[in-house]
Amino acid sequence: MNENRKQILDMLAAGRITADEAERLIAALDPEPGAKNTGPTTHRKYLRVLVEADESMAGNKGMTTVNVRVPMQLLRAGVRLAALIPQQAHNQLDRALSSHGIPLTLSQIKPENLEELIDHLDDLTVDVDGKDGNTAKVRVFCE
Amino acid sequence: MTPNIAIVHVNYLGGANFRLWLPLFLLWIPAIVLAPFILLALLIACTISGVPFWRSIATIWALLCSLPGTDVRVVTEGNRVLVRIL
Repeated sequence: MNENRKQILDMLAAGRITADEAERLIAALDPEPGAKNTGPTTHRKYLRVLVEADESMAGNKGMTTVNVRVPMQLLRAGVRLAALIPQQAHNQLDRALSSHGIPLTLSQIKPENLEELIDHLDDLTVDVDGKDGNTAKVRVFCE
Repeated sequence: MTPNIAIVHVNYLGGANFRLWLPLFLLWIPAIVLAPFILLALLIACTISGVPFWRSIATIWALLCSLPGTDVRVVTEGNRVLVRIL
């Protein structure tokens, strides 16, 4: 069972979504085999990131919302830019990312990886609970 | 298409509010005038770092051309900031 499916079932068990909503979410996660190629990634023009953070525990009044729309072309160009970074800089960046708990090897990121990511990134929602009681909801999707 | 206009809206609660329309297309004038120097600097940087010159130009151009459509909106405690590139 993958993480997204488990998250949906947990939300259903907690009563936060209805059975119909859970069914729709699972269907969206696991499209029919024939349907996978009907929505090519080229039709998705933007990556959207929505963050709604409730920082009332930190003394802030009201919600903080961040709404970012990035063209897919910019992401593709960014991956191409990463390919231009010299190997020495790659190593330094990889070490810096690892030291911050992000085990990512930049040199292994290829444009195909991005397409694969977009294919799987229909709609992802992450609930973040901060240690000081603040909460945030991050939603990432393509449109 | 390269970015033509950047829109910046800033609304501070009980403070300064302003809306800016930045005509980015006007940057073409200094860019064309300074093009020989920019290209020379890029060529030197590419030679030193071992990056293919033409590939880097293509990538920078692709980055520039993919900027339109970028939209960032942040709202916190009633303050709003919007940055949009057209």
